[in-house]
Amino acid sequence: MATREPETGWHGENSDVNHLRGRAFEATCLAATAFGLVSVMLLLLFVANDAFRPFSADAGWLATYAATVVVPLAALAVYYYRLDEPAGEVAYVTSGLPVVGLLLTGGFAVLFIELLSVLEWFALLISLVVAGGLIVAHGRLRPKAALERLAVVLLAPIITVFGLPPTRFNWFVTDAAAALGLDFGLYYRVISLREAILMLPFVPTDWVMLLLTLVLPIAGAAGWFVEQRRESRRDGLTVVGLTTAVAVLGVVAGPLLGIGTDVWLLIVTFAVLPLGVYVEGVLRRGEGVRGLAFPVVAVLGVVVGGVVTGALGFAGPDPWLDWGFLTSATSRTAADAGIYPAMVGSVMMIIVIVLTTFPVGVGAAIYLEEYAPSQGLMGKFVTLIEINIGNLAGVPSVVYGLLGLALFIRVLQWPQGSIIVAGLAVGLLILPIVIISAQEAIRSVPDSFRQASYGMGATRWQTIRQVVLPEALPGILTGTILALGRAIGETAPLLMIGAAASVRLAPNSFFDVASMMPRQIFSWSSELDPSFRHGVLAAGVITLLAVLLVMNATAIVIRNRYQRTG
Amino acid sequence: MTENEMTSNDSTEPTPTTETAASSPDPSGDPLIEQSIDVEGTDATAGETGKPVIESSDLNVFYGETQALQSIDLAIPEKQVTAMIGPSGCGKSTFLRCINRMNDLIDAARVEGDLYFEGKNVYDADVDPVALRRRIGMVFQHPNPFPKSIYDNVAYGLRIQDQTENIDEKVETALKRAALWDEVKDQLDKSALDLSGGQQQRLCIARAIAVDPDVILMDEPASALDPIATSKIEDLIEELAEEFTVVIVTHNMQQAARISDKTAVFLTGGELVEFDDTDKIFENPDSQRVEDYITGKFG
Ligand SMILES: Nc1ncnc2c1ncn2[C@@H]1O[C@H](COP(=O)(O)OP(=O)(O)OP(=O)(O)O)[C@@H](O)[C@H]1O
Ligand SMILES: [Mg+2]
Repeated sequence: MATREPETGWHGENSDVNHLRGRAFEATCLAATAFGLVSVMLLLLFVANDAFRPFSADAGWLATYAATVVVPLAALAVYYYRLDEPAGEVAYVTSGLPVVGLLLTGGFAVLFIELLSVLEWFALLISLVVAGGLIVAHGRLRPKAALERLAVVLLAPIITVFGLPPTRFNWFVTDAAAALGLDFGLYYRVISLREAILMLPFVPTDWVMLLLTLVLPIAGAAGWFVEQRRESRRDGLTVVGLTTAVAVLGVVAGPLLGIGTDVWLLIVTFAVLPLGVYVEGVLRRGEGVRGLAFPVVAVLGVVVGGVVTGALGFAGPDPWLDWGFLTSATSRTAADAGIYPAMVGSVMMIIVIVLTTFPVGVGAAIYLEEYAPSQGLMGKFVTLIEINIGNLAGVPSVVYGLLGLALFIRVLQWPQGSIIVAGLAVGLLILPIVIISAQEAIRSVPDSFRQASYGMGATRWQTIRQVVLPEALPGILTGTILALGRAIGETAPLLMIGAAASVRLAPNSFFDVASMMPRQIFSWSSELDPSFRHGVLAAGVITLLAVLLVMNATAIVIRNRYQRTG
Repeated sequence: MTENEMTSNDSTEPTPTTETAASSPDPSGDPLIEQSIDVEGTDATAGETGKPVIESSDLNVFYGETQALQSIDLAIPEKQVTAMIGPSGCGKSTFLRCINRMNDLIDAARVEGDLYFEGKNVYDADVDPVALRRRIGMVFQHPNPFPKSIYDNVAYGLRIQDQTENIDEKVETALKRAALWDEVKDQLDKSALDLSGGQQQRLCIARAIAVDPDVILMDEPASALDPIATSKIEDLIEELAEEFTVVIVTHNMQQAARISDKTAVFLTGGELVEFDDTDKIFENPDSQRVEDYITGKFG
């Protein structure tokens, strides 16, 4: 076969085509990226080293765990990556699910310890369910009465959860009851279902209430999901039955193992149940079964490592960030200092922010995108408002702190440094961000969907409710979670509104004075004792970053899940 | 046109075409009720050229400063197929959108003049565009199914208009009439966005006819379809014209000639050059420009 000789040299690089500038530009961009990443990584490593102090351990300890945990897991990871990708996915999920589940467990445990008794939770949930039932029943009975429905939707939860303020009628009822010798002490108001449950003379024990309100609903949902997926009623029922059985078993066996029954129930619902359903699915499908080795090896490695180091007498490291740090309050001595009350403060602040900022921000975004006029004088006004929302997103956070101080503390006379004030001040700070990202999400819903809906004779409300919001929701949630990540790390507004530098007891009401994580970290940074400034501070920073990471990961998961459409 | 004969409760029954209550403008009239009344009534006028159900007089549309339609006078007869042809950008879609007031959604659009539907000017202040659009369905130039399941797409209009009785049957009938049922009957839960472009367009047709409107506006419904699906859609259109008024925009001359009773020719600049019986337009148009356009000398 004769090789052809090109007649002209058009095909190679010559003076016509010059890649040099392009290559140089590419290299510069790469260098910038690498520089940024490496410096952030170095900083994080530095802080993590301070927080965990791995090198305070004996060399033998490190070597043992390297041999029992790190090396086997690394080998497995390489194997999955090279040879068995589905197994890698299984390994990823089976290791991640318990972690997320235990985090949720921790969250609920904090909720029950600090905020609500189990009875209060029970009463609240039952009231909400009854309210939901009322709304559904009304929808069934009178599907056409739109205004009435609005009233029911708004009033039913309020009445079941909060009751009604005093009115003439209640006076009459209370007086009449008192005259008959039945003095309920109702203060002339209609008590809510929630309060009625709280007043019951007999209540079930805590674990029964938890079983009813938490374990069974979630197990039921999981069972329903399995039933849908496999189209087998039996499998669904099996899930519910097994979960309940394991939960009840734990209630009996738990005290023997030293685990509180409540905690056990939480672990079953949030960690054991999802893991069980997933593992069973993997085994049944038979795809990537080898991935299950990963968590098994991890647990075995830790156990074996513990036995070996114990037998040989190797001392482990003495990290600043340990269980004690997460569960105790700050203290005068660095070794005893912890972040627990500040963590609870941060969580409660986030609750305030979510409850206030999310509805206001999303509502504003819907108005601006779907209702606001875009023409004429009003249109100009709306544009002005939108520009200013953009500007507000850039206002320094100290200014929001000042606003919170002036508005909530000076004018409304709310307690200085309380959680509600902190939540509202930081909520105002992220409000523009929530509005803008929600607007973006709503705007990204193609106009052709709206046209299709209007063309079918849908009203504006129906179009928003049925077409626009379902499409925009993932985007709205992602934006909001990212904004919440910003909120949880804000320090300046907390300083301005006088959040406590450090508190010994976790807050248990939204009007309590509290500290939040960044505020606590900031006050550690000015301690004289260097072990505060290096050790405890680093541990606090890592905790905060871990919370942020979890929130951002959630946002990313939501985004990826729903990205397909569009 | 055989499948639909199975459903007896809706207006797809092959009853003789009759003059409907549309002659007396009765805005509260439900198409189903009208139909059942008509059956009892006289059918003497069947087959006669429908009287106009949509009439425009001196209709001008502007997008900002530019005028897209110039003083259009047009009377679209009831229960017939009216085709609109003309070169790209001459305002066919714009005119279609005037009929069900979809131009309201375009900020820049401004409509002047009158357009009557069943004797009522749709641009009167007391007309609710939502009520208007429930009687005038529309199929858009580009397929635009919702990102929902196939079933939910067809059921959408039924649900928002509270016609939820026998909803499964209505969905099935609509899909059958749009010649899509056989392809999707096993996967009604699948996302509509996973369908091919032509299937999506037929889904949009099914969605529009599911609610039994009085008038159906179709903006190039067959532009994304293969010849077989196209001929099914053409059959559907002819069948629909027995009960509904159909207005269709098309770039396909043969299609217009095949299926329409009346043809309106728009030419660049947004003027209506000629409007007459389809046979007349294609065989012996009054205007030289129309003849040039139809014979391809000018486009
Ligand atoms: N939303 C809009 N904003 C501004 N101008 C528009 C808009 N829609 C259409 N126009 C203009 O109005 C004129 C008529 O457009 P129209 O879409 O009605 O044409 P058409 O006859 O449907 O064309 P085609 O056959 O290509 O679909 C065009 O010149 C177009 O540029
Ligand atoms: Mg068009």
